Amino acid sequence: MTMKLAEALKVTQSVRSDASRLDIALLCGFTPLHLETFLRAQLCKLFPERNPHIHTGLYGDLIGNLGLATEVDTAVVVIEWADLDPRLGLRRVGGWEPSQLPDILNEVNRHYRVLRDSIDALARNTPVIVSFPTLPLIPISFTPMSRASEFTLELRSGVATLSAELSHIRGVKIVNTQLLDAPSSSHRLDVKSDLTTGFPYTLTHASALAEVFARLVLNRRPKKGLITDLDDTLWRGILGEVGSQGISWDLDNHSQIHALYQQLLHSLAASGTLIAVASRNDPSLVQEAFATRDLILHAIDVFPVEVHWGAKSESVARILSAWNISADDVVCVDDSAMDLAEIKVAHPGIECLVFPRENPQAAYELLERLRDLFGKDNISEEDGLRAASLRANADLQERIKQTSQEALGDFFRQIAGTIAISSQKQPLDSRALELVNKTNQFNLNGRRFQEVEWQKWIDAPDTVVAAITYRDKYGPLGKIAVIAGELMNGDSGKSRKLCIRTWVMSCRAFSRLIEYECIRWLFAKLDVDEMEFDFLPTARNAPMRDFLQQIRKAPAEPRCHLSREQFLRNCPESSHVIEEPANG
Amino acid sequence: MAELENRLVNCFATVFPELDRQEIPSVAIGSLASWDSLAGITLISVVEEEFGVSISPDDMADLISFELILDYLRTLSPGNAA
Repeated sequence: MTMKLAEALKVTQSVRSDASRLDIALLCGFTPLHLETFLRAQLCKLFPERNPHIHTGLYGDLIGNLGLATEVDTAVVVIEWADLDPRLGLRRVGGWEPSQLPDILNEVNRHYRVLRDSIDALARNTPVIVSFPTLPLIPISFTPMSRASEFTLELRSGVATLSAELSHIRGVKIVNTQLLDAPSSSHRLDVKSDLTTGFPYTLTHASALAEVFARLVLNRRPKKGLITDLDDTLWRGILGEVGSQGISWDLDNHSQIHALYQQLLHSLAASGTLIAVASRNDPSLVQEAFATRDLILHAIDVFPVEVHWGAKSESVARILSAWNISADDVVCVDDSAMDLAEIKVAHPGIECLVFPRENPQAAYELLERLRDLFGKDNISEEDGLRAASLRANADLQERIKQTSQEALGDFFRQIAGTIAISSQKQPLDSRALELVNKTNQFNLNGRRFQEVEWQKWIDAPDTVVAAITYRDKYGPLGKIAVIAGELMNGDSGKSRKLCIRTWVMSCRAFSRLIEYECIRWLFAKLDVDEMEFDFLPTARNAPMRDFLQQIRKAPAEPRCHLSREQFLRNCPESSHVIEEPANG
Repeated sequence: MAELENRLVNCFATVFPELDRQEIPSVAIGSLASWDSLAGITLISVVEEEFGVSISPDDMADLISFELILDYLRTLSPGNAA
């Protein structure tokens, strides 16, 4: 039965002063505060003849505290995630970047070993009760919340191993966390149903579990971009009022939740999520804040930065244009519900989330929600290139604008574009499948594939697949296009043709004539006379439609054809170097 | 004594059992030696629990007497300080 704090205080005050002492060490890395009061109160109730004394240690030093527990009747060791690595807690912002996860695991494993030895030593003289983490893990891993990541499973596996090892030590008792889950487990197990029908779940538990399963089966596409406000969102304070030195994101100013938000955004940026700023603010002050204050979200993580006094919906329109993605793929976070409403009217597809600056609990739940919306199954090389290539692309587009039509050929030669084409079928190229399943604009027909379906199709003998990687003097773009189709006999029966069923190209690779080079390579490599395109218009594949129309000099339509002669007549001059990897 | 005030006196009496109920309405952090930072946090937690409210860390810093806490609770909407 849950006890109230006021009740616990009253119970502890009712102890008989002449009762014999019961000395308990409460060893934890956090401030024991009310846990100490409740423990003392519960002991008072269970041992009415004793006077419980609770001994606690220093904040943030669980291991050190274990060494201080001498001459007590029992030691209670309370381990939470932050004791295993401070980066797993909320009070430190050491980073949630995917690249840091292996280091965190190493540190946690080191702590497991030290804890095992320290508790073993303590248990030689004192009965020890050990509680392993009871708090949920922070949203540190890059996967959606419904999917357990390798990282979190490794963490939990370590806990399971350590608790099993400690349970073998004489004098050590491990807390059964199932007891803590009891209130919720009674909502899970339906004894009557199990006994009468063999179905053990309550309806609410079955519904909740089925929802998680369905979310994992769905394999929802993560959102691509996050647009954040600055004042009272990325940091606490109004920059225009308090200046760059007055804004905060730390424990001292009760603004740590903003630090955690910055940390999450930095982690998302490192995982390939696009981050932009839309703020009504003084641009020079914002520049100063990013330059002179040590933000956890770095200036390089953010592109573009829209800071002015105009409507935020205009900023959002420019950001969407720079990113070249749809509003449906974007989340806006702002402390002003009014600004979000203004954005939503102009861009109905955008998901708008209020940053609840006065409610840390709700703000933390927002972090979990964002992790879920942007969660990925894995992180590819391209994820690390995305923001940089968008900046480079903006630069490239500007130069193309300044270059005359006649000089474009020279321009493309100057940028030294290199296209690497791999036609390897095995092992499964998850980045290629990801491109097929998330590209909208340069997409032949919008067809999506489940992993098994894709692998089965490309493994077929007549299926041809090409994955295209690109780099030029503006930097690498990574894998940016996939073409797959089937080789068939031509309509005349004599020649062969390639029926292209799937063709996608990232919008980051537009304006470089890569699509022409792909077709040129396929004609040459496969020695086909004709191609058929399984084109279907979608709400967003106008770039593909326009390309087919341009190269065929005829409208794009389902199953439209392109002969080698037609292509050579209408394609621009080749200006890229083509590479075929040895293993491709 | 109004109900709100009476409930707040109960909170103070729980955290500072050494006080007479009559002296509670006049206590402040500077006049009560046992009102240290730990007792302050405990008091706020008991008040939050009793009145079903969440007091922000910024507001906590200003709640340094019985009178100020009472005023603070009065400013909350009736629903928040039920």
